[in-house]
Amino acid sequence: MVIVASGLTKRYGEVVAVDDVSLRIAAGEVYALLGLNGAGKTTAIRMLLGMVRPTGGSVTVLGTEIRPGAHGVWSRVGYLVETPAAYPDLTVVENLTVAARLRGLRGRRQVDDVVERLRLTQYARNRARTLSLGNAQRLGLAKALLHRPELLILDEPANGLDPAGVAEIRDLLLELSRGQGVTVLLSSHILTEVARLATRIGVIDRGRLVREIAAADLAGHVRRRLSVSVRDRAAAEKALRAAGFDVSRGEGDQVVLTDPRAIGEPEVVAGVLVAAGCPPYRLAVDQDDLETFFLRVVEP
Amino acid sequence: MIGVLATELLKARRSRVPEVTALAFTVVALVGGLFMFILQDRERARSIGLLGAKASLAGGAADWPTYLSFLAQSTAVGGMIVFGLVEIWTFGREFGQHTVKDLLALPTPRVTIVAAKFVVVALWCLLLTAQLLVLGLLIGTVLHLPGWSADEVLTGLLRAGAVALMTVLLTTPVAFAACVGRGYLPGVGAMIAAVFCAQIVAALGYGRYFPWSVPALCSGLAGPGQPPPGALGVVLVVLTGAAGAVGTALWWRQADHDR
Repeated sequence: MVIVASGLTKRYGEVVAVDDVSLRIAAGEVYALLGLNGAGKTTAIRMLLGMVRPTGGSVTVLGTEIRPGAHGVWSRVGYLVETPAAYPDLTVVENLTVAARLRGLRGRRQVDDVVERLRLTQYARNRARTLSLGNAQRLGLAKALLHRPELLILDEPANGLDPAGVAEIRDLLLELSRGQGVTVLLSSHILTEVARLATRIGVIDRGRLVREIAAADLAGHVRRRLSVSVRDRAAAEKALRAAGFDVSRGEGDQVVLTDPRAIGEPEVVAGVLVAAGCPPYRLAVDQDDLETFFLRVVEP
Repeated sequence: MIGVLATELLKARRSRVPEVTALAFTVVALVGGLFMFILQDRERARSIGLLGAKASLAGGAADWPTYLSFLAQSTAVGGMIVFGLVEIWTFGREFGQHTVKDLLALPTPRVTIVAAKFVVVALWCLLLTAQLLVLGLLIGTVLHLPGWSADEVLTGLLRAGAVALMTVLLTTPVAFAACVGRGYLPGVGAMIAAVFCAQIVAALGYGRYFPWSVPALCSGLAGPGQPPPGALGVVLVVLTGAAGAVGTALWWRQADHDR
């Protein structure tokens, strides 16, 4: 096991930030900690990285028990915690050089490689203070990847990135995991991103790990529905019921179908409505947002 | 350690703070020179009024011993502020800029990073002192100050150097405050409290038992009526410096870094 956490607990006075969390993450897994803001994801990650001392429980990372002064293991771990930070007066390359020296790396090759890999080449000589939030996030990820770690611990790695950047980072992490066997533990509050990337998902709520779901089973937990907007809702409902669909009313002039057949073949629904003389002007398959998903997963 | 020192030096070099602190100590040397220039001609000093009256507080004589004493006293009082700011900036920036989290889970032990910071601060402050003394020698030479004697000047320079060394040691608790308070302001508060208390305690006559008063007493700032701090004062300074450094290192190693 790459990460073994047993009964991990962190209390701040009366407040329990992380409550008896146990995790076992195997080599090559992409494990996502999914939770709302304030759920305890970052505190759990900081405990895994030895930044915060647990009130109870223990953590082993790559076979090393994490305690104050245990620093040897970190040469095999890359991490990004919360919003990325960099020395504003230093350029991108200088920030990476500082990180490389602190990791005992010699020479410029690794810095140049990671600059190219994270597409920071055109900003390499720019001071960190001038970077956009997205490029600052890339710099943070570059620091995490600089030494080619076996384990990546990333707290909200998609923060601040535009959609293209999110897809790019997702592809990079998939390539690292599937191509190079890197184990990834990431936290996120973006359900769709987690669904595309993770092999296993741990749902964390109010400090407790309430559920672990294999990514393959996620579809069974996320409710989807087909929303159809029509001019004549009554006629549409009648036609769809006649065709054997369960129909409910949505907002405004929407008709909502949760039938798997309707979600899987929306063109059939469109055909029924066109034939009935009330063609849809909008058809969309919607998915639960994180809050709705949580209400269902957390409160059975 | 060399690699870590190199990173700390790079971080310091790329900022404006070294230039600002060098400017501050240049101003100190120039102000001292201005006092000497005024004191060389008493009539001119009186005609200037307030500035002349202030200048007479430095001892009233325009010669090498007075000028070197002024430089040592400036190192004791100004040094506590400027060296303290160097210390606060070196440690507090990691919290102010949120970069501390990138220093906590590395193959380099946290204690090594703290030690490198203290080494860079010490080198920086001693370079500032050297700059002040070299400028002082140049200004004194340009002003043709009387009273030059190799022994006298060497003693003055050594005294200023020793005062600077003690002052640097006394700034380590300020670094501790900046770390525990996770930012610049707690460090600034601790520094102001130290300077303020040093003045009060010295004025009450107990300066040799209060570490932050000791450099000023050694520099002769309290005047001839005050007894020198002696070995006890120096020991207290060393113990305070060590306590600040060890406390800072222990805090980095043991504390919860949850922000």
